[in-house]
Amino acid sequence: MSEIYLTKQKLPALVTQWMERYRVFGPVFKGQYHDYALLGEATELDLNFQNTRLSPKGLFHPHSEKMFDFTLDKDSPEAGILKEVPKDGSPRIIVGIRPCDARAFQLDDRNFITDQFKDPWWAQRRQNTTLVGLACNNPCSTCFCTSTGTGPFDTAGLDAMLVDLGEGYLLQAVTDKGTELVEKLPAGEPVPANAAAAVASLRKAAEERLGVQFDLGPVKTRSMNELFEAPFWDEVQFACINCGTCTYLCPTCWCFDIQDEVYQDKGERIRIWDSCMFPLFTLHGAGHNPRSQKLQRVRQRFMHKLKYYPDKYSCGIACVGCGRCVQQCPVNIDIRRVARLMSESCICAV
Amino acid sequence: MWNYTEKIREAAERLLAENRVDVVIGFRKGTLPLMNEPYLARSVDQVKQLYWDGNCGINLANYLPKRPDRVAIVAKGCDSRNIVVHLQENQIQREQLYILGAPCHGMLDRRKILADLKGREPLRVDETDGSVKVVGRDFEETLDRSSYLQENCGICLHRNPVIYDELLGDLVAEQTDVDRYQDVRQVEGKDAEQRWQYFEDLIAPCLRCYACRNACPLCYCPTCFVDEARPQWVGKSLDRTDTRTFHFLRAFHVAGRCTDCGACERACPVGIKVRQFTKKMEKDIKDLYGYEVGVKLEERPPLDTYKPGDPEPFFK
Amino acid sequence: MSEWEPKIVAFLCNWCSYGGADLAGVSRLQYPANIRIIRVPCSGRVNPKFILAAFRHGADGVWVSGCHPGDCHYIEGNYYARRKLTLFHKLLEYTGIEPGRLHFSWVSSAEATKFAETARQVVEAVKAAGPARHFIKKQAEVA
Repeated sequence: MSEIYLTKQKLPALVTQWMERYRVFGPVFKGQYHDYALLGEATELDLNFQNTRLSPKGLFHPHSEKMFDFTLDKDSPEAGILKEVPKDGSPRIIVGIRPCDARAFQLDDRNFITDQFKDPWWAQRRQNTTLVGLACNNPCSTCFCTSTGTGPFDTAGLDAMLVDLGEGYLLQAVTDKGTELVEKLPAGEPVPANAAAAVASLRKAAEERLGVQFDLGPVKTRSMNELFEAPFWDEVQFACINCGTCTYLCPTCWCFDIQDEVYQDKGERIRIWDSCMFPLFTLHGAGHNPRSQKLQRVRQRFMHKLKYYPDKYSCGIACVGCGRCVQQCPVNIDIRRVARLMSESCICAV
Repeated sequence: MWNYTEKIREAAERLLAENRVDVVIGFRKGTLPLMNEPYLARSVDQVKQLYWDGNCGINLANYLPKRPDRVAIVAKGCDSRNIVVHLQENQIQREQLYILGAPCHGMLDRRKILADLKGREPLRVDETDGSVKVVGRDFEETLDRSSYLQENCGICLHRNPVIYDELLGDLVAEQTDVDRYQDVRQVEGKDAEQRWQYFEDLIAPCLRCYACRNACPLCYCPTCFVDEARPQWVGKSLDRTDTRTFHFLRAFHVAGRCTDCGACERACPVGIKVRQFTKKMEKDIKDLYGYEVGVKLEERPPLDTYKPGDPEPFFK
Repeated sequence: MSEWEPKIVAFLCNWCSYGGADLAGVSRLQYPANIRIIRVPCSGRVNPKFILAAFRHGADGVWVSGCHPGDCHYIEGNYYARRKLTLFHKLLEYTGIEPGRLHFSWVSSAEATKFAETARQVVEAVKAAGPARHFIKKQAEVA
């Protein structure tokens, strides 16, 4: 496994070098929060952040995307034929991905890339992207990755990872893609002798700070019906205002809607984020809506993340503990509280 | 000042025990500093969770429309005016309500505090009359409370509830000498192109999550105009024209009903100042029709009524 | 070389303004042909959504006309329209639409000359504002 060390002052030069051959995305400060953006210059990159406001899933699954366009002009030989809109498939590097978000991509892959079907837009972007992560030395109080099966220094889903050692970064390759990226770089400074020990101690400190905030073992064993009919949902759902904030910020939420927008004789088929929190999400063509009540929708979201997904795929819950929903929910509905309620069925303080 | 928590719990217990109401709507302490969660207490032992402090900015009147049961609700000045609007619009009956009026000292602006902490995370926040002490892992800072109020609280003219069955504390002095429309006049002073650009920049981060709409107590339409499909008036993507249409029409739909409670701005996950649209409507309605929202129950909302001598500045 | 001709959508109330437009035609009064008329039962029927939809589809100007206050066929529809449309105009202008794109008038079914004259004024004002640049949506501008 290859690794290099570079001082913080040398990072912009490295990024500039990457920008010659790749489109480089990274966290950029937007006035109130950080968000991933295409870097115009290496100095725009700001790695002094805990996490971005929006998750990086938008880089693979944008909020609004044109899939096809078509013409309805009867004189055209192509009338009524959906034509795929070409996308930029050039290679990309995304720098500064936190381990929770990287793990989320693996969870999302389960939806977009299956044996039966591969979503071409998602798959192409995943293929042409190299993910360079940034380990979390200072997790915030709303992070709970260690309770969801990942951790602040977890490399799952990453191609390479940066660890901030104070004066500089240790860049370690994780996958072949990452090795290829790291080996093409000129050697940085010599790796400090105590680097491995420093990384281990930072990792231990971060993991200890996070602790384990809930244990979903009992949820695995309790029956789905029992959880479904449990009385605590009434309390959980009251505050919810059914906006899309939690689903839009969540790195493992992938639901979308497809709409055709037509103007005169030209049209396009667009994919847009949808949210199970919206009342129309489950509206059938016949007019019936199986989740017309707020309680049903709120229950569905937590059951999906914490019970249906692990039951179906047996590889952990559909939550990576990034804490964005906890931070931004306007009414402070806390998934950690709900997880505790599901496993213990007690209304206790967090 | 902030012994409302005890008063709310006492009142709630009493009202539930006497069977005067079926449920009590208030807040309970949040799981993060500077946040509280709206809470519905049904029984006397749930009443212990009710709580109040300077982070109760979300408008509880949002939970009232079309409730079938008898409700006790904690209402600040702005919330109470929204309750008046709900009564005028038949969304709930007066007999169903028992309003616990909470004279308000202004609510804290969480985003402003977090921004000024510049990335340092607060782990605990203690509030007193004039100051807010923020304690983090390796820092402690005391902030002046009056500098960190929500924007709408800073210019509020109705801190006391206008309708209530019981007061939780003494009435507070209303602010005088407040210029509510300074920012509106600033935008009015620009030319058309500058104004267009100003609003383009304002709504550029919009995600179309509808947190602003859903946090608003007045947005209770069973089918919002955004969800209308035949015809589709506004698309659902992030197209700039669609996004602008959404904010524009929503502001127009709450014209003459908005009490500037600030729940919309508070709810927005990307910090858009959506009140820039609604403040203009409020100013125009005051100038043209002399109307202030939700203050008098008998006065119909301005777009629900007319006077034969209404001004008609643009009609040829 | 053809000069740009504005497209103006006119919402005319059936009982008064549409009648006025009809009378103008029957009387062979000349007025610019840029107006595309949509007949509504009453000016109070005009929902701000319609005006925005007209701009989104590329209208350079919108004109709403109804009965004189006090003469509404439905007694009070135009009173509500007056309040609604006044506020709407102010908000639209506030958010940056150029002045001169949105017009309102009261034209009764006997006022053919007023109709023609107002049409001329509206077209001139919209010509001065230029082709519509804002609020047009033909294709979603997305990724």
